[in-house]
Amino acid sequence: MQHPYQCIAAVGSTAQGGTNSHFLAACGHRLVLVDVNDSKIVSEWSSENATTNTAEAPENDDGDRPKKKQKTVPSVKPANIIKLTVSPDQNHAVAVTDDKYVRVFAVAGGKLEEISQRCMPKRPCAIQVLPDNATIICGDKFGDVYSLPLLPVSIEDAPTEAGAVDSAILEADEPAFKPSATNLTVHTQRNRKALEAQMQQKAFSAKKEPLKFDHKLLLGHVSMLTDVTFATRNVDGRERGYIITADRDEHIRVSRGPPQSHIIEGYCLGHTEFVSKVCLIPGTDLLVSGGGENELYVWDWPAFRLKRKIQLAGQVGNTADSNPEALQQADGETVFQAGSSKKDIAVSGLWIVPCPATNAGAKTALVVAIERSPMLLAIPINQLGLPRGQDVSIAKLDLGHAPLDLACIGNIAVVSLDIREEEQSRFQVVQLQEVKEQAVIRSVRDEVEKGLACLDSFATADASLNEKSLDDLLYTVENLRKRRGWGDSAKEGDDGQDGDAGVDDVAED
Amino acid sequence: MAGPAKKRQKREDNRQEGQMPQKKFYRQRAHANPFSDHDLTYPSCPAAMDWSQHFPAFTVAKAVSSTDALDNDHEHENIQQISQQVAVADIGCGFGGLLFALAPKMPKTLILGLEIRTSVTEFVQEKAKALRNQNGDSGLYQNVSCIRANTMKFLPNFFTKGQLEKIFLCFPDPHFKARKHKARIVSTTLASEYAYVMKPGGNVYTITDVEDLHLWMAEHFEAHPSFERVSDEELERDECVQTMRTETEEGKKVERNNGTKYVVVFRRLEDPPWP
Repeated sequence: MQHPYQCIAAVGSTAQGGTNSHFLAACGHRLVLVDVNDSKIVSEWSSENATTNTAEAPENDDGDRPKKKQKTVPSVKPANIIKLTVSPDQNHAVAVTDDKYVRVFAVAGGKLEEISQRCMPKRPCAIQVLPDNATIICGDKFGDVYSLPLLPVSIEDAPTEAGAVDSAILEADEPAFKPSATNLTVHTQRNRKALEAQMQQKAFSAKKEPLKFDHKLLLGHVSMLTDVTFATRNVDGRERGYIITADRDEHIRVSRGPPQSHIIEGYCLGHTEFVSKVCLIPGTDLLVSGGGENELYVWDWPAFRLKRKIQLAGQVGNTADSNPEALQQADGETVFQAGSSKKDIAVSGLWIVPCPATNAGAKTALVVAIERSPMLLAIPINQLGLPRGQDVSIAKLDLGHAPLDLACIGNIAVVSLDIREEEQSRFQVVQLQEVKEQAVIRSVRDEVEKGLACLDSFATADASLNEKSLDDLLYTVENLRKRRGWGDSAKEGDDGQDGDAGVDDVAED
Repeated sequence: MAGPAKKRQKREDNRQEGQMPQKKFYRQRAHANPFSDHDLTYPSCPAAMDWSQHFPAFTVAKAVSSTDALDNDHEHENIQQISQQVAVADIGCGFGGLLFALAPKMPKTLILGLEIRTSVTEFVQEKAKALRNQNGDSGLYQNVSCIRANTMKFLPNFFTKGQLEKIFLCFPDPHFKARKHKARIVSTTLASEYAYVMKPGGNVYTITDVEDLHLWMAEHFEAHPSFERVSDEELERDECVQTMRTETEEGKKVERNNGTKYVVVFRRLEDPPWP
């Protein structure tokens, strides 16, 4: 069994202004840098031998709580990479590992060098390097968005042993515990008992350990964030920055960019299930969002207005007739219908991919992935702005395996696939083309494919792998769906403990 | 669960239409987890909210020429409109002491209580109904209602930008344990959401008997650039502050207990221009 590449990214060489020459691929806990022109793995990194040990990760909650999770800790599994992004200047890559670390790598010069690792209070779920190439914005599963300098300011910032020393000092200085409640504030008998118990408790845990590196809390939702993106817009000749955040509770929020990120400009509301991905459409004021619904939503985001929805499940059948590519893939067609009859689909990826038109120059298309569905959908971006009621042409490409991530090298899109059988390439190279207002998406044989061939033999056999842990790593979107209706007892439960335990985890860890 | 069913049964047995509900049938554990999904109903956006259910006396005949209806979502066309928007929100209104004290004082303003506990919400709704019946002649209490909501998550689903003139946060759950602090109703990040739904110049009123929570709320609002603290002199002149001190259910309890009531009020400032 081999491990699929869960995150991929292209690293361009802007210096030469030529085509992208390097490619980053994350395979479990490993990260590899490939020189595409030479078809060679030039550098490799693993969280296994990373400088930071998971056990040293600062406890994010107060120590007064029994550490029930400790049982799982001793089996030190190297942390998997869950997010990967490249700075706009292509000099740095930022990866998130599932031990909550944000790791910055220098990738310029064809070498992969980890230059910092910072442990966030909660697991990050979206990261982006701002256009200034100096700031990372990072949204986490607790709903907060932080900004961090791309390069930590000083060595002390690294969360190493220095942390332990600090906390020792802290503990010594800790003033005697004083409960915040008094006899005058509590009302019930049980509260009074709890207060007495607190009074007797001698040692009290130290306050939450502050993060030991430069960071700033920009904004926060009381919900799990699913996607964060930074937008810029020219208003009256000046560039304005915005942070767009999406959460599990159907919200898309538009806030001002730093330093005024505390100001909420508005919300794009209308989703009835979680939002999992948002995607800005370059050159327009459009934002496309997708999540646990059968439709994509197209927003005029500066006006917070829904422009239209695009049916995904229903339209694929129609477009199959008009799209010769899809017709040829009769096999795949049945696969999709089996998927769609299941009713619930979850959008797991939205990307902008070059889509050259036959008559007129460079154009782009929106490419959509649906979780566990072995295909990609493509919509030319000029179709997104069509008024309601007018059908949007959607092209479909069957891949045979579920797509996990996509990265563009020039006009070529590399798709990472969930292929677990050994000795099979885990990538497919596809190209888009616009023909008569419609996107055509097809697999191609390209230089790039040869360039990535070196990855086929990388880390193919892994004894510790199992289907379940792979599924848990690769398919996280559908889990965001709320289990509605079962909470009847919680609803009427006048004395019951507060409801949904599963979601409670969000708060707990 | 047997408990709730029995309670509901008793509630039904004792209920007479138009009669004041009795609190003892509506008691519910005083804490709810704001991070849980619960089984909430909430509109997907403010335009999808049918306020006429809550304020029937303010219902207006459907205005067809509304630009909003043409411009915005056609999906919300069928929603019955009301003549004005909710302007005062009591977040965590509990049994509604403040609501029913404020309602006759500002009969032209729509006042809404938001409460996360189901039974308590029902109590307030029943009480509003009963008071409306009893005051049929004067038309009082038509301007007050209550909905079940988790405002920490869904405030922007109910209110549009700059809609609210006053927000009350009265005796919120103090969440004493440090690890529960993020469940508190006031945080710097939540203050941004309060600022969003508030009209510049509007006030957020807070009151608590827990000094620690009082300092926490003051600190977090003070740290937020969209709010400024209202001076103590001005506070004493504000009728709402007096009402909040004496009329909230919890306020009365603290009174009996000889507790201290800490009040702070914050004013929503205008947003600064873009940098």
